[in-house]
Amino acid sequence: MRSIPVLSRVARVALLLPLVGAVTLLAQQGAPGLVTNQEILDGLKEDGRNWLTFGGNYANHRFSPLTQITPENVATLQPQWTFQTNTLGNFETTTLVRDNILYVTGPQNVAWAVDARSGRQIWRYRRELPATGLTACCGLVNRGFAVLGDKLFMTTLDAHLLALDMKTGAIVWDATLEDYKIGYASTIAPIVVKDKVIVGVAGGEYGIRGFIDAYEANTGKRAWRFYTIPGPGEPGHNTWAGDSWKIGGTGVWVTGAYDPETNSLFYGTGNPGPDYHSESREGDNLYSDSLVVLDADTGKLKWHYQFTPHDVHDYDSTEVPILADIPVNGQMRKVVMFANRNGFYYTLDRNTGKIIVAKPFVVTTWAKEIDAQGRPMLIPGHTPDEKGETTCPDLTGGTNFWQPAFDPRTRLFFVNAREACATFYAYKPEYVPGQRFTGGAQQLVNTRDNKPYGAIRALDPATGERKWEFVMPTPSRSGILTTTTNLLFTGDNEGNVIALDSRNGKLLWHHQMGANLHGTSPVTYMLDGRQQLLVPSGTTLTAWALPAVPRATAQQ
Amino acid sequence: MSMLQRSAAVFLTALGLSASVAVHAQPAAGNPYNGNEAAIKTGMGLFRIRCADCHGMDAKGVRGPDLTQVWASGRTDDGLFGTLRAGVPGTEMPAIDVRTPDDEVWKLLAYLRTLAAPAPSEQVAGNAQNGERIYRVNCASCHRVNGRGGRIGPDLSRIGVARARPVLIRRIRGAMEDFLSGYEPVTVTTMNGQTVQGVKKNEDLFSVQVMDSRERLQGYLRSDVRDVTGGKQSAMPVFGPERLSENDLNDLLSYLSTLRGFDPSVK
Repeated sequence: MRSIPVLSRVARVALLLPLVGAVTLLAQQGAPGLVTNQEILDGLKEDGRNWLTFGGNYANHRFSPLTQITPENVATLQPQWTFQTNTLGNFETTTLVRDNILYVTGPQNVAWAVDARSGRQIWRYRRELPATGLTACCGLVNRGFAVLGDKLFMTTLDAHLLALDMKTGAIVWDATLEDYKIGYASTIAPIVVKDKVIVGVAGGEYGIRGFIDAYEANTGKRAWRFYTIPGPGEPGHNTWAGDSWKIGGTGVWVTGAYDPETNSLFYGTGNPGPDYHSESREGDNLYSDSLVVLDADTGKLKWHYQFTPHDVHDYDSTEVPILADIPVNGQMRKVVMFANRNGFYYTLDRNTGKIIVAKPFVVTTWAKEIDAQGRPMLIPGHTPDEKGETTCPDLTGGTNFWQPAFDPRTRLFFVNAREACATFYAYKPEYVPGQRFTGGAQQLVNTRDNKPYGAIRALDPATGERKWEFVMPTPSRSGILTTTTNLLFTGDNEGNVIALDSRNGKLLWHHQMGANLHGTSPVTYMLDGRQQLLVPSGTTLTAWALPAVPRATAQQ
Repeated sequence: MSMLQRSAAVFLTALGLSASVAVHAQPAAGNPYNGNEAAIKTGMGLFRIRCADCHGMDAKGVRGPDLTQVWASGRTDDGLFGTLRAGVPGTEMPAIDVRTPDDEVWKLLAYLRTLAAPAPSEQVAGNAQNGERIYRVNCASCHRVNGRGGRIGPDLSRIGVARARPVLIRRIRGAMEDFLSGYEPVTVTTMNGQTVQGVKKNEDLFSVQVMDSRERLQGYLRSDVRDVTGGKQSAMPVFGPERLSENDLNDLLSYLSTLRGFDPSVK
């Protein structure tokens, strides 16, 4: 603590009085800095001040109402500045935006507040991570902040949830989710619902028992926990043979959606473990590879839909669910849309879980179709063993954790799809706490005549039909942002940020960034009357804007 | 590994000694897991996850060397353990660091051993000197050995340990297509109708990077050229028996087997 001149108690109180008065006044005026629940609920608005939650809005549309950047002028975008992490590892974050300041999480649990005008750092938070024993399977990444009031919320690789002071980056509270030494980690971007912060854990490759947690935003006290694998006596418990439920994985590492109408959370769950070895866990293995719908106040399960019962191909259903109201056969339906790693695209009734559409959006060879009860009709010969069997999609899947987007005007669902197959192998693994527990591996099919490739695809969620596609030479891992001016922003695997016309998939603009937009999409916001496009790529964030502001829009 | 051990390891590496042998050698030589069925299965999993991308699911080599030949070439369990721990300096082969315990490394080797080819029963009769002459005439314009020769094809300085004899025969005789990344044939046709032939070093949706037949490196924007076409045939010519007799092939293989890229006294 810094030394403070000794003052009498009276003098101190007297000095503080004017300050207290000012704070009270600010609070009465609605304290402009504080982020309110209503603002999060409002999602992305025309003023472009905010991007306050992972998907732009609770429904995860990643659809911006901003109008300056259009198909006609997008090719004239100019870089404004580049921010570098100076940290090993890639951005996988959705940047939050609030009144000209960007809030960004990076690799290795470093995070920043950045001035949107200059790209200069305002503060930096860096967490000292354990030197050994971290078990994040697939990179020391983080997918972004959540925010409420004057606090930012961030998960950590050693399975904590932190609240940081938005003004300083100082820790306000630090809650432990679970013990990282036995395979738990957290990379998910939290969301805030009312007074709670919702998070999940990773560790499906390390024999964890997954869960979704809610913490009080003010105190960091845990409000509820939903185990993604039911315990003894709970419904679904008997879908795991023997004790396999205790180490059955089923992590939750990608952010879900929230429906305020029914106060429901929608989260996709991860693969059962061990990933590939069927006999280690006979049964359907609920609620792995599922969409679970929870009461946001209590964490109680309302319904679930399992996309891949007894998965043996590591088809985590940790893709981003999107909520919308769309007409289906002439009737308005409240739906949840889900492009799954297992190769199928789904539209479900979001109040009942009933299947409306289930149709492959990439080449899929493990199941023929989804029957009327919602169960995949398996094609025999797709259980991995020591000799190996070949299945499409490969383990990375038809799509994965990178975000799809939805245009509520045209009602098109945009997904970054992968066409890839692999030979899967399995063997019986031994469980050792904190050690990898997958029971197999895959080798990608990659021959001259059968090369994996990628495509941005626009699907009609009422039918699952493909409206257009934009083919890329290799599968990409970039998320998608779309706008009301018919733009779609994403990236290819070769490091280009690209803009397409969202009506037909036509290429409008590209720029070689030097590294791909890994698992994340650009975001867009307004700065001093000019629309900005923020592109995360490798270790950089680059802001883009049009060279001159069209007068008409500038005055809005 | 403590800081002291690490410094010692670095120091030994600098002396050209196998650092890992000094630090990790087991007092009792040999792999404690050889023949242990459970360990071999674990090792198989480890190999497929960590090694197969470069060495191939069958360990016969893709970007990295064929590993089924290493015991036949005279290397030992302890020596290979050291190689896994230290990596191979100057190549893509990384060290398996301390986060992986010793027993996993041994299990991996126990699995690899089950794939090992038997030692050649008889010395292949071939004249390596004549083989080198054949190599210079037929191969050296495209392939490089120890800093000499062409660059349009892959460097062969380590080919004697990287690829097994039957694979080399199939490759030379043209019985196997091999489109190694970075060596795929490509033809670029410019707007004025000129064609540039070479191998493709890289590409994306908007550009292609080429080494042409004169080893000139050049990138082309797709929007600035008329056409970019990938070849159907490998840039490597087929050497059938009419071009290369069985005897000459045998001599050539003898020469190639001497190209080992590192000190063969390391066991």
